[in-house]
Amino acid sequence: MLVTVLNAQLLSKIYQDPAGEVIALKDFSHNFTAGKMTAIMGPSGSGKSTLLNVLAGLDVPSSGSVWLADTEISKLPERERAELRLHKFGFVFQSFNLVAVLNAWQNIALPMGLAGVSSADRHSRATELLERFGLAQRATHLPHKLSGGERQRVAIARALANNPEVVFADEPTGNLDSKSGAAVLDSLLDVAHGGRCVIVVTHDPRLAERADVVLQLADGRLQKPVVDNAPLTPS
Amino acid sequence: MRTFLTALGIAVAVGSTVIFLSLGEGLRQAFSSGLSNIGPDLQVSYGPFDATSLTAVPELPLSFMQELEGDAETYGISKIIPLMLYVRGGFNPSNSFVFQGLPPAENISDVYYDYQILQGRSLNATDSERRVAVVGQQAAERNRLALGDTLRLNPGNSFEIVGLAKSAGGFIDNAILVPLQPLQEAIGIRDRVTFFALELSQPAKAAETAVLLSEAYPELGFQTRSDVLSLIKQGIRISDVVRLGISIIALIVGAIAVANTVLMSVFERTREFGVIRAVGAKPRFLFGLVLSESVLLSLIGAGFGVLIGRLGIIVVNNITNDLIGLDVAALTLRLIFFAAAIAVFMGLVSGLLPAARAARIPIAVAMSRE
Repeated sequence: MLVTVLNAQLLSKIYQDPAGEVIALKDFSHNFTAGKMTAIMGPSGSGKSTLLNVLAGLDVPSSGSVWLADTEISKLPERERAELRLHKFGFVFQSFNLVAVLNAWQNIALPMGLAGVSSADRHSRATELLERFGLAQRATHLPHKLSGGERQRVAIARALANNPEVVFADEPTGNLDSKSGAAVLDSLLDVAHGGRCVIVVTHDPRLAERADVVLQLADGRLQKPVVDNAPLTPS
Repeated sequence: MRTFLTALGIAVAVGSTVIFLSLGEGLRQAFSSGLSNIGPDLQVSYGPFDATSLTAVPELPLSFMQELEGDAETYGISKIIPLMLYVRGGFNPSNSFVFQGLPPAENISDVYYDYQILQGRSLNATDSERRVAVVGQQAAERNRLALGDTLRLNPGNSFEIVGLAKSAGGFIDNAILVPLQPLQEAIGIRDRVTFFALELSQPAKAAETAVLLSEAYPELGFQTRSDVLSLIKQGIRISDVVRLGISIIALIVGAIAVANTVLMSVFERTREFGVIRAVGAKPRFLFGLVLSESVLLSLIGAGFGVLIGRLGIIVVNNITNDLIGLDVAALTLRLIFFAAAIAVFMGLVSGLLPAARAARIPIAVAMSRE
């Protein structure tokens, strides 16, 4: 049975610009389910990153709503959205966005520190994630001492630190060579098929080929039909 | 490099503040140790005692001495010593001499507890009409005076050095003790002195006795040791305010440098702050982070500032020791705490604007910043 984790209803985002209104997103609706990796594709300026920001509670929609189970996150104040991001969401970014002054281990432990996880639990969880992503030997390396692929794997490990329900990834393979990109893609699929909802914004056709669901955006609108590559599961 | 230079700027600002304020601390220490050790239970001046009393022309009529002697039993006065101060000024402090005239038969230790003869002899009863002098150790060293040398007070009046002395309080060290009568003759004032030093049979009752004597002798001023000390401390407090006022300018410049550095740092780390917010940090976390960085930067600067101040104090004291034989600057514990408090305050004030900016920046905007 497919479980809807995140539900978007008629999402629109309109920016005010000196030249007039810019419609970044228009009437987007979709159910994101657990256990699947959904790729959001589209040309530059089609509204992919705006959609990701609104779904993840990093920005608020101009209209419409985003629901995480019974919680309408688009109506929550910033403080509660921060709490939600901390405990329910994980993030992976194109430019890795690791904190430059923290080593790999510390970057992974950062969300747990913010969530008030005890030192002992932080240590065991961060060590477990480092091993899972083949980074055990790189624990004390600062980000600039890691390769692009290693940095992105640290970012994925950080995204999973607080056991989130949803992992958002914005162009996770955009800055990687094909080999590292494939390894990162494998990691994200593992995460999704391990029961989490993974939402990826990408230009990368290799990623789209392997994603379970592919959404196409153009001029802020969802293009039909939605491609579902996932094998049918008994309901 | 920018952070280092900012810390250096704070260090200079705090260092100059420490040096400025240490002058008051040093003077306070010098006067506290000096005056608490020196003699009279009560000091008698003509009229109220004020800052000019130490340098003014002697104006206390000696006739009051007989009157006080007549009332000695009533007020518990055990001894009255007339004292005359005469400052022979020079173009700079090292060429100025303070002549202190007192009856040579008196035990000088009654007036200055730590009085010690280093060379030669002290004044004695046979010196009452002789032009002899005992010179303080530092005054002798500064002016290369030795036993047998002659001190010229004015044309026609010279005193031969018969002894060198010192005291812990630093007052004897820079003074020239001479018999009262020859000093009176030398400056042409025979019937007046600067003070009477009174010894009481019950020193603990000095304050009460001063009140009673003030009622009986309204034209005279009676000061206990703490009265004299508080007057001097009041003067130092006024100078503290003036020196702090000057220091504040340096501190404001330092605070602006901190604000600039922290603000630049916030601009440069906007993306990083966006990431931290994205993964779940609340705005107040970033506010506290930036504010604590600002305070830490100020505290590090202040630490170096105290070291700079310490070096400055050594230089200042070397100079003032050469000039007047006193350490006028001192680095006290409360001055160090004051410098730390200033640094925390400076860091808080300087960090408020950058911290508020870091906390307010929209996450999506921060994340898109290159």
